[in-house]
Amino acid sequence: MDHGLTVADTGVYFLHYLNLDPRFIWFPGHVDALPSSPDKETPLSPAHPAHPSATARPGRRALLAGGAALTAGLLAGCSGSRPSVTLYQSKPEAIPFFRGLVGDANGAQSAYRYVHDVATNLSASFVRASPPDIACQNYNLEMARFMERGALSDLSDMPEAATIREDVLALADWYPGYEGRTSVIPYSVTAASVIYNKRVFADHGLDVPVTWDELLDVCRTLQDADVTPIYATLSDTWTITQGLFDYTVGGMVDVRSFFETLNAQGETIGPDSEVSFQRTLLEPMRRMVELLQFLNPDAASRAYGDGNTAMANGEAAMYFQGPWALAEIDKAGTDVELGTFPLPMTDSADDLRIRVNIDLSLWIPEEADQPEGARELLTRFMDPAVQDEYNASFLAFGTTKDAPPVSDPRIAPMQEYYDRGAFTMGASQFIPLTIPYENYIQSIALGADPETVLRRIDSDWSRLAYRQ
Amino acid sequence: MSTTTPGSTTGTAPRSRRRRTDPVYYLFLFPALILFTLAITLPAVLGFGYSFTNSMGFGDWDLVGVRNYIALFRDEGVVSSYLFTLGFALVTVVVVNAIGFALALGLTSRIRLQSLLRTLFVLPMVISGIIIAFVFQFLFSNSLPAIGQALGIDALSSSILANEDLAWVAIVIVTAWSTIPSTMLIYIAGLVTIPTEVYEAGAIDGATGIQQLWRLTLPLVSGYVVINTILGFKNYLNAYDIIVGLTDGGPGTATRSVAMSIFKGFSGGDYGYQMANAAVFFVISIIIAVVQLRITRGKASFGA
Repeated sequence: MDHGLTVADTGVYFLHYLNLDPRFIWFPGHVDALPSSPDKETPLSPAHPAHPSATARPGRRALLAGGAALTAGLLAGCSGSRPSVTLYQSKPEAIPFFRGLVGDANGAQSAYRYVHDVATNLSASFVRASPPDIACQNYNLEMARFMERGALSDLSDMPEAATIREDVLALADWYPGYEGRTSVIPYSVTAASVIYNKRVFADHGLDVPVTWDELLDVCRTLQDADVTPIYATLSDTWTITQGLFDYTVGGMVDVRSFFETLNAQGETIGPDSEVSFQRTLLEPMRRMVELLQFLNPDAASRAYGDGNTAMANGEAAMYFQGPWALAEIDKAGTDVELGTFPLPMTDSADDLRIRVNIDLSLWIPEEADQPEGARELLTRFMDPAVQDEYNASFLAFGTTKDAPPVSDPRIAPMQEYYDRGAFTMGASQFIPLTIPYENYIQSIALGADPETVLRRIDSDWSRLAYRQ
Repeated sequence: MSTTTPGSTTGTAPRSRRRRTDPVYYLFLFPALILFTLAITLPAVLGFGYSFTNSMGFGDWDLVGVRNYIALFRDEGVVSSYLFTLGFALVTVVVVNAIGFALALGLTSRIRLQSLLRTLFVLPMVISGIIIAFVFQFLFSNSLPAIGQALGIDALSSSILANEDLAWVAIVIVTAWSTIPSTMLIYIAGLVTIPTEVYEAGAIDGATGIQQLWRLTLPLVSGYVVINTILGFKNYLNAYDIIVGLTDGGPGTATRSVAMSIFKGFSGGDYGYQMANAAVFFVISIIIAVVQLRITRGKASFGA
């Protein structure tokens, strides 16, 4: 009973009594040091009648004793206050799924308490040096910056890293990484290509085009029959960059080597450099402009939701969106029959490629408080039963060597391209957000001269390289 | 310490001649001062320091000298965002003050349903900017074109948000709609301080309604005009939420404001560069404020 308690320490004990986590208010080291130092000043014991509250309020003493017992329990590793491990996961559609997983994980073990964070600003949490313990996030250029600057820990020693397909693991290296580390483990891959209305195609006797000329023929046939060939939603800039832009560029240009050369060139980028936006991407952009005549006439003011509604109602034949749009189109509850095919950009069917991105990837920051707990959760997530269930319900492709093929008939046509590695990441995913490229590409889609706009991106890129 | 009587002119240090301020005033001041220092001054100074680095906001960084500033002045995107922001702020301040003042005149005159009308006109003030923006986004891209098509008006039949030359008009309209109430309230507060005797005297001297407005009302509320223009201009220079909701800086980059560039740079890993941008913007804002204060100094009157 005769624990030495300083006045300040009572605060900590009180927090335990209220079952609050003292780490938010106090240093854990301080709590550790407490019970082993019984000879501190101002002990709250009956031997010191000078202390007014010591004898007068037994209730408070009982409280303190209770608090002390709780603290002892904490130090002994009692389950009531196990260390918390924060999972960051913010893909909105997937939040319920992962909330369930986190609940399962908390029920299945007693060493850690898993907390599901869906809203913290990730950049800011790294700035404050308090990142999550583990994250399950979309893998993109913003993400890759954390990796490039060494903020993510090496996971290559985990057995899960060895189960990932080589060419999928390599996708993570399309961005500049941190030498010698496996910083992220791809969890799911989404593949995107042209979504088309099978019935409209059948009604007009059309086959899926595999060359650029066939594509133009399909568009003309549909237009002559008063069917909108392609539905576009130009007021949402991301739908242009991830659709029209990425499909046309990805079908003609080797995206990976383009950006590798671009990054190596530094600030010398222009009409005479080996690669540049105005040189390398001009042809794909000209073809993109050629497709603009086949868009719905009100495309300029349409938004993503309008596009999904229009496709659900069979108002257009083709739609340049990923599988996430299929889930939205489903919500309309119509019986529209959809399929997918890669956008043909050349004269050869061998050049056909689908656009992929690492929809979710798992990573553990260097500064994680509980790396062990985080690794345990990672293993749990990578359980094939869990991972396959996620991929099946979110229309994504598996990342492991023995993942089953996709079963949804709408995305199944992309499986063969995925299996033989005929895929590319979207070019838009390699341009830093600080260059307003989404707005630039939008201006091309609204009629600006592609050459001028691409030259502008070049000069922005050059200035960025100059100052970094 | 000896107290000083008003008569004594020599012998004591000049410092002790002033009456000592009651320390309780410092007590009032300190909490705010400490918070301001920690939340505004310190981050601002740190940010200024970061403007000389290639920092992404976290992780390793190197000093790059004034490269960020050099790059800034060569960046046509930055220059155009400044031109857009200044032009937008100027137009909006004029529109908002003209309409706000007119409404305030109407709502302080003897009209029916005065308090009901006042409540109605203040309503937009309680709705958050981003919600207003999304609602108007829908109106501009769906309802207005539908009306335009039904009436056969060509200019209205396509969304003005998708028009590079006109999108800014939509932003001015929506910003005005949401900020007129607060401006109007300040004008109402000013107008009710003018005693009716002033107008009676004016009427006896033969002043017409227009003359009363120009020579009596306006000079007497000039202080409120100064408040509204300076505060309004400052707010419009920071335009962000309504633009994000309406156009997100588009079409193209036609409506990209300075605040948007700075924020996008932060989330886009271009922290150092946009800190330089923020520093320049800060200096420009200060210059504008000083000029405004210079022009209006000595001319402000807060009622009779």
